[in-house]
Amino acid sequence: MSKKLAGLTKFNTRELFGPLLTVLILSIGVGAISASLQLAVQFALCNLVMVIALQVFVGNSGVLSFGHGAFAMVGAWISGMSTASERVKGNALALQELWQPLVGFNLNLYLSILAGMVLGALIAAITGAFLMRLNGLAAGIATFALLGLFYNFFFNNITFGPGSQALPAVPKFSGVYEPLVLSLIAIVVVYLFNISATARNLRASREDLLAAPALGVSIQRVRWIAFTISGALAGLSGAMYVHVAGTWQVQDYYLVFTFLTLAMLVIGGSASLWGAVVGTLVVTAVGQILLLWEQGKSIVGIKLDLPNGARSLIIAGSLVAMLLWRFAGVTNGKEFSIPFLGKRKSG
Amino acid sequence: MQAILDAISLGGTYALAALGLGLVFGVMRLVNFAHAELITISAYVMVVTNDLPLLISFLLASLVAALLAILTELAIYRRLRGTGPAIMLIASFGLSVGLQKSYELIFGALPRSAAVAPWMTGSFEFAGLNFTISSLVTVAITIAILLAMGYLVERTTLGLQLRAAATDFKTARLLGVRSNRLIGSAFAISGILASAVGFILVVENPQVDPMFGLNITILALVGIVIGGISSLRGAALGGFIVGFILSILNTFLGNARVYAYSYLFLAVVIILLVRPGGILSKRNEMERV
Repeated sequence: MSKKLAGLTKFNTRELFGPLLTVLILSIGVGAISASLQLAVQFALCNLVMVIALQVFVGNSGVLSFGHGAFAMVGAWISGMSTASERVKGNALALQELWQPLVGFNLNLYLSILAGMVLGALIAAITGAFLMRLNGLAAGIATFALLGLFYNFFFNNITFGPGSQALPAVPKFSGVYEPLVLSLIAIVVVYLFNISATARNLRASREDLLAAPALGVSIQRVRWIAFTISGALAGLSGAMYVHVAGTWQVQDYYLVFTFLTLAMLVIGGSASLWGAVVGTLVVTAVGQILLLWEQGKSIVGIKLDLPNGARSLIIAGSLVAMLLWRFAGVTNGKEFSIPFLGKRKSG
Repeated sequence: MQAILDAISLGGTYALAALGLGLVFGVMRLVNFAHAELITISAYVMVVTNDLPLLISFLLASLVAALLAILTELAIYRRLRGTGPAIMLIASFGLSVGLQKSYELIFGALPRSAAVAPWMTGSFEFAGLNFTISSLVTVAITIAILLAMGYLVERTTLGLQLRAAATDFKTARLLGVRSNRLIGSAFAISGILASAVGFILVVENPQVDPMFGLNITILALVGIVIGGISSLRGAALGGFIVGFILSILNTFLGNARVYAYSYLFLAVVIILLVRPGGILSKRNEMERV
């Protein structure tokens, strides 16, 4: 194939600040419009962190992972469990069988988020040590099995969590700024990783599984590093989500979440950080507009009365349509650039 | 004894679902999530046409499922050929959700139910052991279909082309296999297999909702990968193993049966680590793109 290799190789201010400013301006701007949009922005930021977490691993390595929902699940679990008040944990009906040390286990908001990241990274590091030798579909199914295992465990276990019910009264973020700052930090981290030699080696292994090791790349090692970092970020995403939703429920981190975030990545273009940002933005925007139409409101003068349930149908339809239109994603796997400004790349 | 029979019958059902998925995967490397909706639509058709004789109702269901399968191929998958498995997988997931929502708009979100083939729910005694009729019928149907598929794949021109395409699609085309027709047939057959699965499932559980076929499809997907995606035999075997293990776990775990999936998924991870290409694969085989 003669396609140009996508992916950045050296630090470029524009490629970093493009996504940063886009997220910053949109979050503050849209969040200022109304209270419900502000909440929507907070949820979108959680998804954004998950999508860039997926980009770090899936985008760079070309290996599909359905297992990241599990890392978000445990990240959210520890963050929610350690911040819900002792009174709630001791009295809630769903938590009667809760293991005693967990009832007294308390952290402040930021430490709990850090704990979510550490646990996400830890689980990813342990499982990754085994799973990273797998390629293609086997990797996809094995990571899916990981997700299924964690889901099945938490859904039925009432010693470590609320089982199929919800952990109530998790403290919420006070506004859009806390998740925003966390997302921006995540973007910087991912950008710095993506221009590192490790990420470049990983992308080499994505392009050719036989040539990369011949050039001295240990595929398992570079994949494992990326998997662990993206596990930490997925844990962060889950920890953010639990403080936006104010409750922890295992279902929130299962199939819908996994596929929605993967779809965002693929729609935006999985080969670049900018693609992850654009994909999250596009899918979220389409979803919000349709939601408003479903509620019978008008947007820029256009008012459609959508029947209930049509929204998900249209989102699914536009996902497929976007793939048919441009299968490498809206950004075609390119990083952020401003056309006609400054030096244009040749070729 | 009933436990073994149940396990075989569940394994057989999963094998049929895995076979439908494996067939399509073989010819175009597509993991077709929307297979679930083929199963669901055939179950819906059988519930809606329950007043008609069973055979006609089933034939209608097969026809609808096969047509829907071909339609998805023409409208979507054909244009995504050659974009890579990840993109097609995501597209098939989008399609799957889209179809689920369409069913919700057409049939409602609440389950539709009707007693399809009520005579199958009874049981009888033989040699001091109790058997349910449905598990026996399921095993019989599965064996019949597996034999028919075996004949189709091993003895007919279409089967030869399917096997050739699964081994090397490009070379098969160069040798004169008409790819569009072949892929279309694979989709049609997978639709018919889905309707057989739909029939078996709707007899066991007559409550059909938009997510009816999802569970078995996900597990059958797991099955085809652990069985060995490169061959139809591997796919069917993998599906069977998943269904069999699940049924046995459900019987013998007692109160811990809620964790049956955890054990199953753990087993899947271990099998894949030992044999990444599936149980029936040759060692050190690596898929080259």
